[in-house]
Amino acid sequence: MATRPSPGRASGRRARDSLLAASFLAPAFAVFAVFAYYPLYRLVYLSLYRPNRNTFIGGSDEWIGGSNIIDSLTSSTFLRSLAVTAKFAVLTVPMGIILGVLLAVAADRKLRGIRIFQTIFSSTVASSVAVASVVFFTLLQPEAGLWRNVSWLSIKQPGSALVAISTTAVWQNAGLTFVIVLAALQALPSEVREAAELDGYGPVRRFFRITVPLISPALLFLAVVLVIHALQAYAQFEILKPTNDAQPLLYKIADPEGVETISSRAVYSLGLFVVSLIVSIAQFGLLERRVHYGE
Amino acid sequence: MASNPRSTRRAADLGWYVLLTVLSLVILFPIYTTFIRAISSPVPYLNSIKSGGGLTPVELDWGVFWRVIKEPGFYRAMLLSAGTSTIIVAAQLLTSVLAAYALVFIDFRGKKLAFALLVGTLLLPIEVTLIANIETVRDLSLFNSLVGLTAPFLAWGFGIFLLRQAFLGVPSELRDAAELDGYGHLRFLFRVAVPISRPIIGSFVLISFLAAWNQYVWPRFAADEESWQTIQVALRTFGQREVDQLNFGFAAAILSALPLVALLIIFQRQLIRGLTAGAVKG
Amino acid sequence: MSSVVFDHVSKVFDGTVAVDGLDLTIHDQEFMVLLGPSGCGKTTALRMIAGLETVTSGTLSIGDRVVNDIPASDRDIAMVFQSYALYPHMTVRKNIESPLVAHRGRRVDAAERERRVREAADILGLGDYLERKPGALSGGQRQRVALARAIVRRPEVFLMDEPLSNLDAKLRTQTRTEIVELHRRLGSTFVYVTHDQVEAMTMATRVAVIANGRLQQTGTPDEVYRRPANLFVATFIGSPPMNVIRGVARDNGAGLELAAAAGTLTWSTPVSAVGIGSELVAAIRPEHLHVDPAGTLDFTVRAIEQLGHERHLLGRSGDADVVVRQSSADAPIAIGESLRLRPDPAEVHLFDPATEARVD
Repeated sequence: MATRPSPGRASGRRARDSLLAASFLAPAFAVFAVFAYYPLYRLVYLSLYRPNRNTFIGGSDEWIGGSNIIDSLTSSTFLRSLAVTAKFAVLTVPMGIILGVLLAVAADRKLRGIRIFQTIFSSTVASSVAVASVVFFTLLQPEAGLWRNVSWLSIKQPGSALVAISTTAVWQNAGLTFVIVLAALQALPSEVREAAELDGYGPVRRFFRITVPLISPALLFLAVVLVIHALQAYAQFEILKPTNDAQPLLYKIADPEGVETISSRAVYSLGLFVVSLIVSIAQFGLLERRVHYGE
Repeated sequence: MASNPRSTRRAADLGWYVLLTVLSLVILFPIYTTFIRAISSPVPYLNSIKSGGGLTPVELDWGVFWRVIKEPGFYRAMLLSAGTSTIIVAAQLLTSVLAAYALVFIDFRGKKLAFALLVGTLLLPIEVTLIANIETVRDLSLFNSLVGLTAPFLAWGFGIFLLRQAFLGVPSELRDAAELDGYGHLRFLFRVAVPISRPIIGSFVLISFLAAWNQYVWPRFAADEESWQTIQVALRTFGQREVDQLNFGFAAAILSALPLVALLIIFQRQLIRGLTAGAVKG
Repeated sequence: MSSVVFDHVSKVFDGTVAVDGLDLTIHDQEFMVLLGPSGCGKTTALRMIAGLETVTSGTLSIGDRVVNDIPASDRDIAMVFQSYALYPHMTVRKNIESPLVAHRGRRVDAAERERRVREAADILGLGDYLERKPGALSGGQRQRVALARAIVRRPEVFLMDEPLSNLDAKLRTQTRTEIVELHRRLGSTFVYVTHDQVEAMTMATRVAVIANGRLQQTGTPDEVYRRPANLFVATFIGSPPMNVIRGVARDNGAGLELAAAAGTLTWSTPVSAVGIGSELVAAIRPEHLHVDPAGTLDFTVRAIEQLGHERHLLGRSGDADVVVRQSSADAPIAIGESLRLRPDPAEVHLFDPATEARVD
């Protein structure tokens, strides 16, 4: 009936409250100021100016401006790594989600010992990207991997390297999808399933017509999270060392071999930022209308 | 042929067991092969795989795990990971609890903007800010240091978001009751808001630890001395060894994941709640 | 002990007036019920006494102190909330002693605290549950913990916001009696908010009926029931509500009568302000309409509700929906039957159709 007030109302208290709020927010803002907001500014700056590192002589940073941005964005390095990153997302996200949903549907039932299967399926969540890369090294290693003779999973062939690397991410994505989709399935009211059964839906139609729409918020969340993960992929590529044509955007930004200039790496970073932003906005914008949000 | 409902049921269950077992084998297969590689003597294993084997262990070398544990490069990296992760979790908890409390329970101007700025940092992950942050850490002489490894993660937009959700769940009548009882902000925070939100805080601690422990990109570039390598970064170099030591890296990878597997099994429910927190609206 | 005085108090939320110029004096030791439909402003009025809402204009006093700017925790009041608002992570004991621990000005030594908690727990029969947590208690027990937490403060004024609405019907009746006993025993001022007129009628020493942010009437339950000050109170109090029949006053030779679509009505109370030709609204309780072939109002039965000891005839009289309350022993009546109704002239209330105020 009434809108809620907040503790503290007398005027002296208001000022005191503002001070308290400021001091509570200060630690988080201090961290973000140095390591999130300032870097954003710094990336823009580095895209526009080449820093003058010679502090003895002095002198100001050199304006490189628009040409650096255009050159970097149109460079084959950027375009190719962006394409690799996009392909990596396409290879890992849908497969990961499909496999994870399959795992979740299979494990969402009352059977003796089902907890064991559930634990197995969620086990990949505990493994880091580095561990997953080492684990898949046993399969993908060109000399001694078990899949060394499977030509479309060859890590040293230009056409197949990216597919090979993707297996690690599919494996990990399936685990995360499993955990989240199983939780979503178990949160569904059993009345819905029973009503659908009474309405005469078979198991397959029930799954696609009833279950999928109801768990669509979880699927949307997963899609966004996994695409963002894909855009930020790095460790698999450094540990499994695929061919040069299969290096993603972050590899060019981090630049472990030191072949890129700081100016172009700054532009690539901003590129990654913008792409992530577009993905987040687009996925929510496009899918939100089609996604059923339950209570 | 009258089909007995109980026997059809049993047949269906059997079908599910078969499917679940097959799926388990698919998921576990890479872990199994890693285990085989870890416990097989490297040279005989290479010979075995060349002659078409490789799915079974060759010349068991259980001692490899002990050698990994005794190796300073391994246990120092594990300790460093434990240390940085603990610092990160503790700091994130503190900064998130305080910020979320201000966002929910204290009245001040510009609250919406503050919230947007805090949670908006999720769009500026370390991958985007990497090169600028490396520069900062170098300029502040924090390269190869505990502070340098943890500083960018002392606050996390997701943590603030999650705890804000938790605090918003404190019933408004409870806040009113606390106000009448005479709780001040600090007392209310530590005596009521935090204890009531314990389940979500527990989930957050797990998620935060998981993320911190599995961190790769930042520790890889914020340090270049071997003694400042976290376990994830060290795993890469463990693979680059003499031929007869090639199982070392696989054993190290298994051992490095064990703490998390244990956490996953013990705190399964809290972990799932944390992971799904973003997926479930409201 | 103290009184609560609203002196032209208003509360505005973002342009919406929740309480509009409330003038109300709640006397010392009174059990005042603020009664009204949901959204009428009664809870806002209560929360202003508590200090959980600011006063937009006017002055609010507790005892002889103006409390407009006194923070909630410094007012000498205690409140029982609709949801009880117990701290789920604290034991019953910690919950009850919370007001004595949280506020510096109220802190007492451990022995005194223990004595007060014991006393409150004994009054409410919670002695065996002190070490349990609220989650392990029934709804009724939780309600008592909330009451005990209020008692332990020894406030001048008890505030209660629909405290019974989360209880089942049987427990509600029982707790009603217990709260009235508590009031008698403590001798403090009680202000009690409800939308349930049965609670108001059975518990209050006085009732304040509120609608649309405005005070409609104050009085004892009996006064409010027998002599509603306006059409709102007339139709809000009583179940089934009063029947409302509109018409025009005219002279029938012997005096004035109301000519309505379904017939005529007369009244026995002297009404001065009504002239021939003025429009009027008559209200009459269902038990004061009698089925009588010699009656003056047409009535068509549409439905019959059997309640065991009585029955309600639901139907139409001209353009009005009308309910007639009868004994179950009365002659049987069929749905669809057309009857004549005889209104009891002594029980007809008349209101001005424009102001809705009582005209006698």
